[in-house]
Amino acid sequence: MIEIRDLSFGYKRKKLLFRNLNLALETGSIYGLLGKNGAGKSTLLKNFIGLLFPNSGTISVNGYTPKKRWPSFLETIYFIPEEVYVPALTIEGYVNLFAPFYPLFSEAQFHSYLEQLDVKDKGKLNALSFGQQKKFIIAFALACNTKVLLLDEPTNGLDIPSKMKFRKLIASVFAGDKIIFISTHQIRDLDNLIDRVVIVDNGELLLNASLQEIGGRLSFKTVSELPATGKILYAEDSLKGKAIVVENTTNEDSKINLEHLFNAITENPAEAKAIFNI
Amino acid sequence: MFGFTGLLLLLVLILYTVTKSLAGIHAAQNLTFIWGLPGGSFFLASFVFGYFSSNASGSSFLTLPAAHFEKWLCGVLIAGILYPVIFLIFYRIIDSSFVTLYHHSLDPASPFYKQQYESVYLFDFNSILAWKVYPMFFFLTGSMLVGALYFNKTAFIKTAILLCVLLLFVFGLNWLMAATIFGHINDAAPFNHVTLPVGKEEGSLELPSGTVNFFNYSIWYFFPAILWLLSYTRLREKEF
Repeated sequence: MIEIRDLSFGYKRKKLLFRNLNLALETGSIYGLLGKNGAGKSTLLKNFIGLLFPNSGTISVNGYTPKKRWPSFLETIYFIPEEVYVPALTIEGYVNLFAPFYPLFSEAQFHSYLEQLDVKDKGKLNALSFGQQKKFIIAFALACNTKVLLLDEPTNGLDIPSKMKFRKLIASVFAGDKIIFISTHQIRDLDNLIDRVVIVDNGELLLNASLQEIGGRLSFKTVSELPATGKILYAEDSLKGKAIVVENTTNEDSKINLEHLFNAITENPAEAKAIFNI
Repeated sequence: MFGFTGLLLLLVLILYTVTKSLAGIHAAQNLTFIWGLPGGSFFLASFVFGYFSSNASGSSFLTLPAAHFEKWLCGVLIAGILYPVIFLIFYRIIDSSFVTLYHHSLDPASPFYKQQYESVYLFDFNSILAWKVYPMFFFLTGSMLVGALYFNKTAFIKTAILLCVLLLFVFGLNWLMAATIFGHINDAAPFNHVTLPVGKEEGSLELPSGTVNFFNYSIWYFFPAILWLLSYTRLREKEF
């Protein structure tokens, strides 16, 4: 479990990115962290793993304080940054060097994931394309079998088939004792993958809810005319009429559109917080 | 890492060879020792801790499940222990080779054979010069270990510039103070002595030996030790 209490963080003391942020992430979910550019998505992930230290407040990841970067903590968490680093080693050399640090690393799983992601062994890793390097790191991270997996813009640099393979792989390896936390601004890449959505904007938490909960409280539909009554959280012209997001007062089922959800929440932060009791 | 160390040793060999042909074997021995040990280690320290100077590699190594002390120790072992040992062995081999070559090139029948033979000998690792180079090595390596962790980009250049500015500042300030106090001066070495013109002669004002020793030991050992420890503290606090 990841628990954040009253987190304040800023690269400059006077200009805080997060102010008194409270957030609890339960084990057994794949979270999608959505936010605008510069909203602090990567910063939040780096706070989770201890690459950045909070100005105030506390972060607890499975009982550990990330700032201390204890080996016993780092064994249980893997962070894939947006820009990955691979040294001038072969795949075998990389595994020999880094895998021993992760007690639950499985070489069989690793090779299977490489195959699923279509990563070919072509000599030194730093000679691979950026996308191939990223897929290699994703395969390695998954094979480490850490309790927490943090992915920052994991689909950046991946081609369309690779994005699909990535989604399938994440879904297939997910187990109930893990937290997978994916930060992205490419919302469509998370479709059918995540089961909880976290949205941060202007240093505030605007949403932390399961898809089921979102479906229960918001309605996503296409109408020919905008309804006269009720607050419309978001509206967008579409080929079939107008796609809208409204509060779900009639318990109707609708398919969640993550892009529309994001816009609805960030354009109406106060209403969103009221609807989701944040 | 091995490639980089090999490159440094190759440069040492080139420096020795070029200096020997231009200025003789003694100059080659001294110059190569002065540049090879502190200079090489300075380069290597920037290379080793250079992994922490970019976002991607820095994140990767900082989040590796190992203690800060182990990560620090890796850098210190490579730049502070392994490289000096390898350098000293390599230096001894090339120095022995050149000295032997020189001795073999002499004509035993020459009346100056003994004199010429004894004029060239192996560099003494226990000489006064060597004992001035060892503290330089500790100081420069410590500075680079800290610099590589403080500066996120082009740490080597930034650290080198900072050291030059620091040295210029210390020497400049010392000269300025000595000139203000004594008027015309010939020479002023920080924490050591001032040389003044006395008629056509010159005289030297030296600090008491106890005070000189205090400053020397502080500069040679205490300050470098602080730098090495500071690099460990900096690694613990490093953020990306």
